[in-house]
Amino acid sequence: MSEINKKSLEHLADLARLEINPKKEEKFIKDLQSILGHFQELQSLNTENVLPMTGGTQMKNVFREDDQKRDKTVETRNVVDAFPEREKGYLRIPPVFK
Amino acid sequence: MHLHDLTIKKFHQGLLDKKFSAAEIVKEYYNRIEVRDREINAYLSLAKEDAFLQAEKTDIKVAKGESLSPLDGAPLAIKDNILISGQPATAASKMLEKYIASYDATVINKLKSSGAVFLGKTNMDEFAMGSSTETSAFKKTKNPRDLERVPGGSSGGSVAAVADSMALAALGSDTGGSIRQPASFCSVVGLKPTYGAVSRYGLIAMASSLDQIGPITKTVEDAEILFKTMAGVDLLDSTSVDFPKEDKHELTLDDLKNMTIGIPEEYFVGGLDQPTSQALDNSIKLFKSLGIHFKNIRLPHTQYALSCYYIIMPAEVSSNLSRLDGIRYSRLKDSNNLLDLYRQNKSAGFGDEVQRRIILGTFVLSSGYYDAYYSKAQKVRSLIKNDFTEAFKEVDMILTPVAPTVPFKFGERIDDPLAMYLSDIFTIPVNLAGLPAISIPANQKPELPVGFQLIGKHWRERDILTAGKYYEQAKYIT
Repeated sequence: MSEINKKSLEHLADLARLEINPKKEEKFIKDLQSILGHFQELQSLNTENVLPMTGGTQMKNVFREDDQKRDKTVETRNVVDAFPEREKGYLRIPPVFK
Repeated sequence: MHLHDLTIKKFHQGLLDKKFSAAEIVKEYYNRIEVRDREINAYLSLAKEDAFLQAEKTDIKVAKGESLSPLDGAPLAIKDNILISGQPATAASKMLEKYIASYDATVINKLKSSGAVFLGKTNMDEFAMGSSTETSAFKKTKNPRDLERVPGGSSGGSVAAVADSMALAALGSDTGGSIRQPASFCSVVGLKPTYGAVSRYGLIAMASSLDQIGPITKTVEDAEILFKTMAGVDLLDSTSVDFPKEDKHELTLDDLKNMTIGIPEEYFVGGLDQPTSQALDNSIKLFKSLGIHFKNIRLPHTQYALSCYYIIMPAEVSSNLSRLDGIRYSRLKDSNNLLDLYRQNKSAGFGDEVQRRIILGTFVLSSGYYDAYYSKAQKVRSLIKNDFTEAFKEVDMILTPVAPTVPFKFGERIDDPLAMYLSDIFTIPVNLAGLPAISIPANQKPELPVGFQLIGKHWRERDILTAGKYYEQAKYIT
């Protein structure tokens, strides 16, 4: 399988915002190649008129009125409190722009 | 009464008969955890204060003569990817090492309303990715039946806690076999409900179209009690379903005798080790002795399930785990550059298996490969589901092995991902098709644990639970 090599792994890692440990890179590529190799068996299956299954047991949209369902004051405060950095009830994040 | 003999049912009766108080039993469990868990490593965190508070509430109810729910005071262990407000929820990942849950999962909410006690949170494969609990960032859980062997995974901690009498019962989650395979490895009962039967709200998502929460117990009867308490539609999980409950009456043995269990050829062709195939033969014989009919069936696309699953699951993983970015939930590394901050936190926070699945998922969803992999796998998923739909026209349940082998030893498969993935070959198709299935110990006192799997029709947990209950009764007589 040539779909995964050093260059494409670097590209995928970049898309996923990961840094692959250089010491582990070789094994990583080898493992992925063997897994993708196993997937090739699917190509022998004819799926021409088969609809994709996207999951779920009852494919029905669930709607509700766009209103506040419950008092979330405490829950919201707890969620804010669980944030790594916060200031005066706001979430604090590192600067996005220079 | 020894903890070893205790089930949810017996515990409840003991409370009613005032043989013991809930607080006494909770204390006994913590004493046992203190002694045993140094060896087994089932728990990641304990919640003693809350547990005793809840137990006392139950004891006050008993003293006042108020009616008790079947779960009142019952000391449970909870997998660490299910949120209990105010308690850690690490999913066994460094990424969430310091994270404290800010709300209750719906299942926890329901169990709290039933008076259940939560002893603590249990070890697991990191973000439920693994079949041996070896990918946990914190500790290795041992199989209480044989300390040199893995407990299975990913719900290894929950299963070990129940198997070693460090909890009365437990909750796990099952995406490709994570409840059933460890249950089989440790000789306890594990139920994966129909997709949509139990709310996933408050479960740290791995693959959302496959994940289900389910009970891990000593008996099938206990699994039924927990399942009935947790099941039902939930506004907070739009994939949960208000499923038909028209069959209110209990099934009898005569009802079972009118049912047929299917044996799929594809699950028995080679690859099974001797103890597993022997145990399966014995299980079939025992069911036959109860007067239940068997029929050979075909599930022709079984061999493609593993590839199908290992495309769809990582695709969903790569999306679900993107939120763990070093900005929300936790920050392990600081940087002035946002892109570097993402990269450094994700790389420091995620273990090898998680990174492998994120990369794999990113690959199968990426432009140029989407059709060949992801889209193809979704179509194959339809074929696998259709296999079951066809089979269930002829039979009411399907009996299969849970795993191809008895529990393996530590380190045996951790360096070979494909070998590890093969542990779940018989449980994966059930998740792809969204069906309910239960893993039940085949023998009463096995040398090495082996379970069998009963797969039911959608929403027909009752069928497999009833068959399991009669199996258990017969097993202890013969």
